[in-house]
Amino acid sequence: MTVKIGILSFAHMHAYSYAACLKQIPSVKLVGLADDDPERGQETARRFGTRFFASAGALLGEKLDGVIICAENVKHRPLTELAAPRTPHILCEKPIATTMADAQVMIDVCAAHGTRLQIAFPVRFSPPVQRLKTILDEGTLGRIYSVKTTNHGRMPGGWFVDKALAGGGAVMDHTVHVIDLLRWFWNTEVTEVYAEVGYSLLHPGLGIDDVGMLSFRLATGAYGTLDASWSRPDCHPTWGDVKLEVLGERGIARVDAFSQNLAVYSDRTGKAQWVHWGSNTDLGLIRDFVDMIATGREPFITGYDGLKALEVALAAYLSAERGEPVALPLEREGGA
Amino acid sequence: MKRVGIAGAGLIGNWHAARWKHLPVELTGFYDVSSEAAARAVEKFGGRAFDSLDDLLAAVDVVDVCTPTPHHKTPVLAAAAAGKDILCEKPLARHLHDAEEMVAVCQSAGVRLFVAHVVRFFRQFVQAKAILDSGALGRPGVIRTVRGGGFPDWSNHSWFADFEQSGGVVMDVSIHDIDFARWCFGDVERVFARGLTFAGVQPHDHALITLRFKNRAIGHIEGSWAYPPGRFRTRFEIAGDQGLIEFDNLAPAPLTVTLKPDQSPQAPGIPQPHSPLAPQDDPYFLELEHFLNCLESGPVDKFLISPQDGLEAVKISLAAIESVRTGRPIYLDEFEESAT
Repeated sequence: MTVKIGILSFAHMHAYSYAACLKQIPSVKLVGLADDDPERGQETARRFGTRFFASAGALLGEKLDGVIICAENVKHRPLTELAAPRTPHILCEKPIATTMADAQVMIDVCAAHGTRLQIAFPVRFSPPVQRLKTILDEGTLGRIYSVKTTNHGRMPGGWFVDKALAGGGAVMDHTVHVIDLLRWFWNTEVTEVYAEVGYSLLHPGLGIDDVGMLSFRLATGAYGTLDASWSRPDCHPTWGDVKLEVLGERGIARVDAFSQNLAVYSDRTGKAQWVHWGSNTDLGLIRDFVDMIATGREPFITGYDGLKALEVALAAYLSAERGEPVALPLEREGGA
Repeated sequence: MKRVGIAGAGLIGNWHAARWKHLPVELTGFYDVSSEAAARAVEKFGGRAFDSLDDLLAAVDVVDVCTPTPHHKTPVLAAAAAGKDILCEKPLARHLHDAEEMVAVCQSAGVRLFVAHVVRFFRQFVQAKAILDSGALGRPGVIRTVRGGGFPDWSNHSWFADFEQSGGVVMDVSIHDIDFARWCFGDVERVFARGLTFAGVQPHDHALITLRFKNRAIGHIEGSWAYPPGRFRTRFEIAGDQGLIEFDNLAPAPLTVTLKPDQSPQAPGIPQPHSPLAPQDDPYFLELEHFLNCLESGPVDKFLISPQDGLEAVKISLAAIESVRTGRPIYLDEFEESAT
């Protein structure tokens, strides 16, 4: 069976990686891509040997088995609303949306059309993270006291620093991956968030948050922190990190999910770089999406998972604004 | 679907069997001088235990030779005579004349011979080679590698400790990096080495090998069965006139678990490091998959490792041992293995 997939927008750079992964899977045909920016769209279509469609609607007319949405965050909702009646499977880049209301609409419209919605949390496919999950499931650490985490990055620029398109800065960009992992590890929810958020702290004049320090409590009783900052300078040897330290009554487990690297120093490029040789987590995500389509099973990472991770990011902004801890779940009518 | 038989149901034979189970082949069975070992493998992986090598050969299309080093030649020659394609574990042979004979016989028999230098399928080594080939390092200058630990206590087989059979740490361990260095930098002009091979401390063995490549680049290969027990170490760096690549498996692991002393009976308080990969990135799987794809893609030989590569790795390793013995640099073009 050939699985026909299209990509809606290359605004998010992960789309390039997903397209490269699709090309590696023999059963997949990348039917085409649509993009608001025709120049980028045409060039990208050439690069991946596929067709450029001038509109998302035209691509969705191709009887696709699934689409991958990698538009700016605020466009996830309108594209999902457009795609849900026309395609049975959607993989949406994180965060699912920029408001709880948008995220709920996306979940509802997919449910109404029987379309399966998956959210792109590739770190669930990191073999070191998966091994940690196994160790936790086996109860090796005993009662879990706390989890100290980071998801650092470089400041990505472009629409990522435009609140109207991204919905927020570093906290919006980098809260959801780790929160999704913690929800998955322990089948739990965040019950309270306190956050310090810094605006233009590391990038003068940026006009959006670039530092986020979240302190949270889980329904399991464990507490933890997440540093979601864009604190890696451009010359940093890699894009950032996902690090987790789980402290339990019997010991401690530490994961540095993207540390299987070669150190590469080149005068030709003038750079020191860490080149990852570990398994490609994006490939794991894309294989899982294709497998869901091929087997007709339910998604491994649901729209609800995307919504609950987003809720923590929104609660962090709210906490910073109020200067006090915020209880979850959030009141739906109030903010968002 | 190719029918695959494994000659030698020891550690590597079992590792290969576990991977063959995930490839589109029929794992037909095992032959081992120990019928018990063959039976145990059959219990784990299926297929049947054959009473003789000839019976195995008669039932398969492909033979995976996983016997101890001194016993590679017999199954390889028998498989060639039977017209079967062959995967042979490294080192190709313990002695150069045997390796040469195996390569020549396979060639004249028209069967394909793949020498399983698995390091060429480890992702970190593959990445490094790709970066080197991209030109990011400029002109290749020097390569350093380390591969070693204590004497392998996982092995109940005394043949590793017997230099006459295994060739010691140089032929069993350093040959991996000798092949990798040659893959990166090309043919070797001369080799100089010092080590414990003849120092009377067996089974401990250790060697520091210096290579000079024909392209003028220089290499340093360390192999060890003399370190204190603990984590096995692999390390490499490759330097060119414009850059450097470094890898060290003892760099902080992506996952460590440290338990309080009373909770960890094996290694109290000592971190247990993990560096997991997705199953499809496992180097042994990738190696067998590559071999199988090459067999199925037609008569043109596209092996990443040619029989000649396997032969050269044996020759350089033997030259290194000869250098340890004589204290002299050994030129590969003039090298002939001494009778001892």
